[in-house]
Amino acid sequence: MNAEMGLLAILVLPVAQAALVLACARPPGLRDAVYMLAACASAGVAFFLFNETAHGAQAHVVLARPLPNVDLAFALEPLGAMMALLIGGLGLLHAIHTAGFARATHEKSPVRLMAFMALSSACALGVAFSANLFTMFVALQALTLAAFPLVEHNGDEAAGGAGRLFLAVLLAASIGLFLPAMVWTYAIAGVLDFRPGGVLGGLANPISANLLLVMFVFGIAAAAVPPMHRWLTASRVAPFPALTSMYALTVLPAGCIGVFKVAAFVFGASGLGDAHLAARGLIVLAGAAMCAAALIALSKQDLRERLAYSCLAQSLAAVLGALLALPAGLFAAALQITALMCSAATLLMASGTIAAVTGRTQVSAYPGLGRVMPWTLAGFALASASMVGMPPFAGAWAKLWLIASSSSVGLVWVAVLVGLAAILTFAHLGPMAASALSARAPPDAFIRPDGASFLLVAPVALGAVATLSLLVFANSLSEFLSPVWTPPP
Amino acid sequence: MTASLIEIARAHAPLLLLTTPLLAAALILLAPISRLSWAIGVAAMSGNVFLAMDAATRHLLAGPWGGDGVSPLAFDGLGLAGAAIIACTGALAVIAAGAVMRQFEPRERPLALALSLCVCGGWQGALVAQDLLGVFLASETAWLASVALVSLSSDRGALNGAMRMISAGAASAALFLLGAALLMRGTGVVRMSDLPLAQIAAPMSSAVGAALIVVSLAVKAALAPFHGWLAAALGRTSAFAAIMLASVGVVGALAVTARFAAYAIPAPSLGESVTSVLTALGVASVGIGSLQAIGAANVRRLAAYAGVAQGGGVLLALGLGSPAGFAAALLQMAALAAAGIAVLGGVAASGCKLSVDGLDGLGRRAPLSGAAMLVGALSLMGAPLTLGFLGRWRAIEAAVGVDLWWSAGMIIAASLAGAIYAGRLIERLYFRRAATPTPIQHDPWRVVIFPVLFGSVLALALGLEPSVLLRAAQAASLQIAGEAP
Repeated sequence: MNAEMGLLAILVLPVAQAALVLACARPPGLRDAVYMLAACASAGVAFFLFNETAHGAQAHVVLARPLPNVDLAFALEPLGAMMALLIGGLGLLHAIHTAGFARATHEKSPVRLMAFMALSSACALGVAFSANLFTMFVALQALTLAAFPLVEHNGDEAAGGAGRLFLAVLLAASIGLFLPAMVWTYAIAGVLDFRPGGVLGGLANPISANLLLVMFVFGIAAAAVPPMHRWLTASRVAPFPALTSMYALTVLPAGCIGVFKVAAFVFGASGLGDAHLAARGLIVLAGAAMCAAALIALSKQDLRERLAYSCLAQSLAAVLGALLALPAGLFAAALQITALMCSAATLLMASGTIAAVTGRTQVSAYPGLGRVMPWTLAGFALASASMVGMPPFAGAWAKLWLIASSSSVGLVWVAVLVGLAAILTFAHLGPMAASALSARAPPDAFIRPDGASFLLVAPVALGAVATLSLLVFANSLSEFLSPVWTPPP
Repeated sequence: MTASLIEIARAHAPLLLLTTPLLAAALILLAPISRLSWAIGVAAMSGNVFLAMDAATRHLLAGPWGGDGVSPLAFDGLGLAGAAIIACTGALAVIAAGAVMRQFEPRERPLALALSLCVCGGWQGALVAQDLLGVFLASETAWLASVALVSLSSDRGALNGAMRMISAGAASAALFLLGAALLMRGTGVVRMSDLPLAQIAAPMSSAVGAALIVVSLAVKAALAPFHGWLAAALGRTSAFAAIMLASVGVVGALAVTARFAAYAIPAPSLGESVTSVLTALGVASVGIGSLQAIGAANVRRLAAYAGVAQGGGVLLALGLGSPAGFAAALLQMAALAAAGIAVLGGVAASGCKLSVDGLDGLGRRAPLSGAAMLVGALSLMGAPLTLGFLGRWRAIEAAVGVDLWWSAGMIIAASLAGAIYAGRLIERLYFRRAATPTPIQHDPWRVVIFPVLFGSVLALALGLEPSVLLRAAQAASLQIAGEAP
């Protein structure tokens, strides 16, 4: 298999996974086996692509040319390969967890849930590997449509309302802001391709550049920059596996990657310099909203709501890093996306496990659960520590680079905001994790007589291990990603 | 022998496009059985498709072409492209008629089919007629046939729609004649192709005349605020008449408007008034049509209002007055025709209730119809990789090209509204369950599903690989402006 075939395979495999799950809906054992095997295959291909990219392989696949000079094309580059590895690797853990969750909760429509989660993964990979703005626009639109059934999965009135809000925010932003920004970019630069160093630098006048940056950042509503964050908080009504998929693997990370690609490959350092005013304004907005989200999370008693705000704070940190117009800022953003995906996936899978076997979703019901579910709550605690930014977990390196890069350009207040958000994150996750581990075990904790199955616990434990990965790989990742912020000679 | 026959047909293609459907209509009325009538109709429309596509291939795709000369019936760029759209859409509708004709009384079936051919022939005639009188006669033929087709439904409510059409048609005819008279008096020319170089003696009356002609055609294209008849007609008439009216009637009138505008806009003293009227009607149609589509509770009414909004987008593109704008308008017309076939054909093929809640869960109960309607809805909302997106993109690009940013904004607003009303259709189709099981859905077994699916596949395929369509649209828009590519 060469890199081009691998690129095609990684995009097609999740679609095939969805089709296979639909075809093998019964018996449940076959369904789960097919779902996990396909996830395993995706993870394998993702690892292959990562390895190929590390060895300098390049691939460019054009699927169609729907407009003159604009292809529906995907390219293998380091950022996409990193995302694919995360989506593939964490997706495998998530597939195992979903199978366990569906069995533990007697999920009514597991096939639909699995199929749309797989399709969402395909679309998120499409965003990650998109070779130009048009392809990213298409992939984001498809991601919205694929994730919409996940929000509406429960089928009740609340889910219907949340689904409509989800669709309205993401589609309206995409059509109303991203599309015109894309046309405008095309009118200015004559191309929509992603290029290291950007395509707009020196071509757009300051007013156009500022307006374009604002339109792109708000147009990629999946990144949840306020006021486009309402889809994220509304979608908390979805079941836990769907939340894990949307917050940790597909929609939110795809939004962050979208903003990252626009900052690095459309604007570049020079283009962001032209859009200095908008960039600073957006950094202020993202920084303030990051602290506000962490603070609001503290007031939420429903764990899904608390985690939604917590993930929002983390994603805004990634956006903030991307807008700093510095290689160090871009690296911080890439690390933050990695940390968000690992930590959020672990936290949400742990919460899902707890909800499935104890029925508890309120923060006040967590104390002492660590005594009866030590592995799950240990994973929860490690992921919380990573979200906070405690060394040596993934989040720490991202926060460190964010603080260092913002300080290096004199934006000390950004470093202060990052630190404040870390403290507030500790406030809403730390005590909860500590009391879950240290308090006395609650009587009759389980609603299931046999407790949590291996399928529910193992992915959480492995996810927690993944949050430690950056301790070893941070330096290698920096070298691997360096072509992203290094324009070709 | 065959080759010489084809050559003769090619030489007289404009005449044949008009007369073949009309002659076939006469034959259908004489045919003893319904199936034979249908076969005649299908054969006539297939011939029309061949003639139109052949001419389009030779004239628009093969290279420079300066038009067909001074014959009263002749091809020009936009006319030919519009005729090709009408021929394809009409052929699909007539093929679909094989199944949906059962909604008519047996004795009315040949009449309905004959009238539908008159609608196609009439609009095609208006697209090849060179003088204003010819355009008037042909479009009135199409219009009166449409009225009769709508009134044939067994539902008495359809008569209300037909009556509204008669009223609107009478006003439209009066406006056209008045406009044509003023224009001829002011310019001294009767052939549209002479307008750009005409010595205009009375600029004011000529401008008013041109504007009146545009308004007259806008009435027939159901553009706001003259669109009241369309929802009334579509809401209660037969499925076949609804498909013909939305996909052939409205698109035909839009194509004739585009053609007239392409001749009038380059004319001194006329261009400003024509672009102003087009833009005003476009803005009104996008706004009013979108709002009404969002609030519609009947699928056919929703499709009607969506058509008004999409037609508004076509007029906004025409109002730009540039070849890029005309090309974008052609693409939007093709998208509207395909979406009309897909959505209304899907409703007809599934046999579901016409209220919007009748669509609940239809995607599961009638998967083929659901898929066709899904593609139609996606194209209406301008989702990427559909024909609708292509049309919108080119229109926005054309607007940005002439620095009319507000026009681009209106087209984007139309897309946003499209996301709401088409998104509602998709949600109903796939994410709702029917409150009460409905005994319908003979979906896979009906002839009607094949043209409907073909229409939706076309909307997708041309969205994915539009190079031929883009070339044809560009050549058509350049040719009529006297700039052969």
